[in-house]
Amino acid sequence: MEEAAKKGRVTPLASLFPVEEAQKAVRRVHETLSEKESELDRFRGFISDNTNLINLVQKLPEGLHHNIMVPFGKAAFFPGRLIHTNEFLVLLGEGYHVERTSKQTVEILKRRGKALQSQVESLKATMQDLKAEASFFGITASEAAEGLVEIREDYVEENFTERESQSGPPKEHPPSFSEADKVKVAVEDEEYSCMMSRLDELEKAEYEAGYGNETHEDIENVAVSDEEYARMMSRLDELEKEELEAEFVNERDEDNAKLAVNDEKYAHMIARLDEIEKEPETECGNERDEDEKIKADFDQSSDQISLDKINRFSEEYQSRKLLEQTKDKKSATEETLDKRDTQKDLTDRLNCTGLTVQSRPKEMSHGKGLVHGIMKSTPLEKALVLPEVKENVQAASSLRSEAPLQDSKPGFDSRKAFTGSIIERAHNMQTSSSQQAATSSQSTVTQPSKPVSRFKMQRR
Amino acid sequence: MASPAALRELQRELETKADDLNKIQKDISKNHQVRKKYTIQLGENELVLKELDLLSEDANVYKLIGPVLVKQDLAEANANVRKRIEYMSAELKRLDTTLQDLEDKQNSKRDAVLKVQQRIQSLQAGKAKA
Repeated sequence: MEEAAKKGRVTPLASLFPVEEAQKAVRRVHETLSEKESELDRFRGFISDNTNLINLVQKLPEGLHHNIMVPFGKAAFFPGRLIHTNEFLVLLGEGYHVERTSKQTVEILKRRGKALQSQVESLKATMQDLKAEASFFGITASEAAEGLVEIREDYVEENFTERESQSGPPKEHPPSFSEADKVKVAVEDEEYSCMMSRLDELEKAEYEAGYGNETHEDIENVAVSDEEYARMMSRLDELEKEELEAEFVNERDEDNAKLAVNDEKYAHMIARLDEIEKEPETECGNERDEDEKIKADFDQSSDQISLDKINRFSEEYQSRKLLEQTKDKKSATEETLDKRDTQKDLTDRLNCTGLTVQSRPKEMSHGKGLVHGIMKSTPLEKALVLPEVKENVQAASSLRSEAPLQDSKPGFDSRKAFTGSIIERAHNMQTSSSQQAATSSQSTVTQPSKPVSRFKMQRR
Repeated sequence: MASPAALRELQRELETKADDLNKIQKDISKNHQVRKKYTIQLGENELVLKELDLLSEDANVYKLIGPVLVKQDLAEANANVRKRIEYMSAELKRLDTTLQDLEDKQNSKRDAVLKVQQRIQSLQAGKAKA
């Protein structure tokens, strides 16, 4: 790998996260989790008692008096009568009782039930966070035990050709990517999380702004029929900026300068993209054609730097693109797409974007490897997705397949910058919504053979 | 010669400081417990106040004092509950400041303990070299 040429520092994960400590952390979190579980059970008991009481209180006034067995002391009963069946002395708390009728009592009880419910909800939310934490710790512990290694390398601009060769079949060479990936992975997860959160914010903002509108905040813009591209480009620009900011954190000034230069070139390419977008085509066709054209443009114009940047952003770009496309195409899916960062929406999003994404990555790879879309996700997913995607893409974007989305995203990252990857979603899908925290999502990602979270894509 | 004595003295100092630290930590945990109790009671009182506000003027309110249910005036009950709430919030605030003081003291004690430990270590290192 080209990265091998760079000097790097190898840090075994075990040294960063000692195995025993990670395991202890897992145990601690599990204990807290079980405590919360028991509390939750208590609450559930209270709620059921409350409902039973409401039913009883509603039934009593049905008769003027009831014949009952009255408890007398600890072990005796005597037959008696329950009179004044509509009068209740309700304990409000702190020793205060109040006389109320049956209906009023039921109202009081209902209000209590609502308060209990809200407490249960908050407890559940805490438990979710704890579960996410536990899974993160668990994954870290297992990774540390496996002897996973983190390699930090200085970021150096790479040649476009080198990249292309690397972008080859990403799937089959997880180890080869690991180095490149590790370069980015070396970036602290925190940075990733920062970027991801920024991306998320951007996405959301863009979604809200762009959803349903054809207008774009894009610089270059979109008068064209293909607004999607314009949107994507603008997003891409935003992402670029963010990434630049993030990268600046990790990289040397030279790199920054290079990135700045790349930005200009990138901007040129984006402009070209816009031009391409203007060609009239069907949406579906546009997507693919445009992708190809864009790729062509990229290929021709680029210097590696801009390509690098493009590649880096390709993931996000693609994901965004897909978002855009799907949005335009389907309102239903669009909503879900926007939230792709959240695990819950994974399935929907995948469906929506999966199709388009898939087609894109393929085209890209055809085009040159500019976008390594397909690479990232696990080979399994990709294999599944690609064939599906191809068909779907042609059919038109209303298909939903989550897998493709994830696959495509990872593909981009294969080389470098993490640029949010969707891989996480596949992982999320499997683990359901248990991991919601961003941090946990970042770190929890995964197990060696599964698609990796955006941040960890490279780890594969 | 002087070193072993100095060393022993330092160790005694360390023990006393460690004891102080433990005491402070116990105080802090007690503070936490009392705070928790007060917070729960405060919550309960607020609930009671809410319900009392919903009552009409002529509703009968009783207060359980020991084994006796005593009839109370609605206005009186309202006033009592409000006073309790105020009292408890004031208590909570007081406890908060106490907790803060305790934590500061704990930190300073911890630093002192660390310093003594370092001195002991340097002494021992010096002795080992000599």
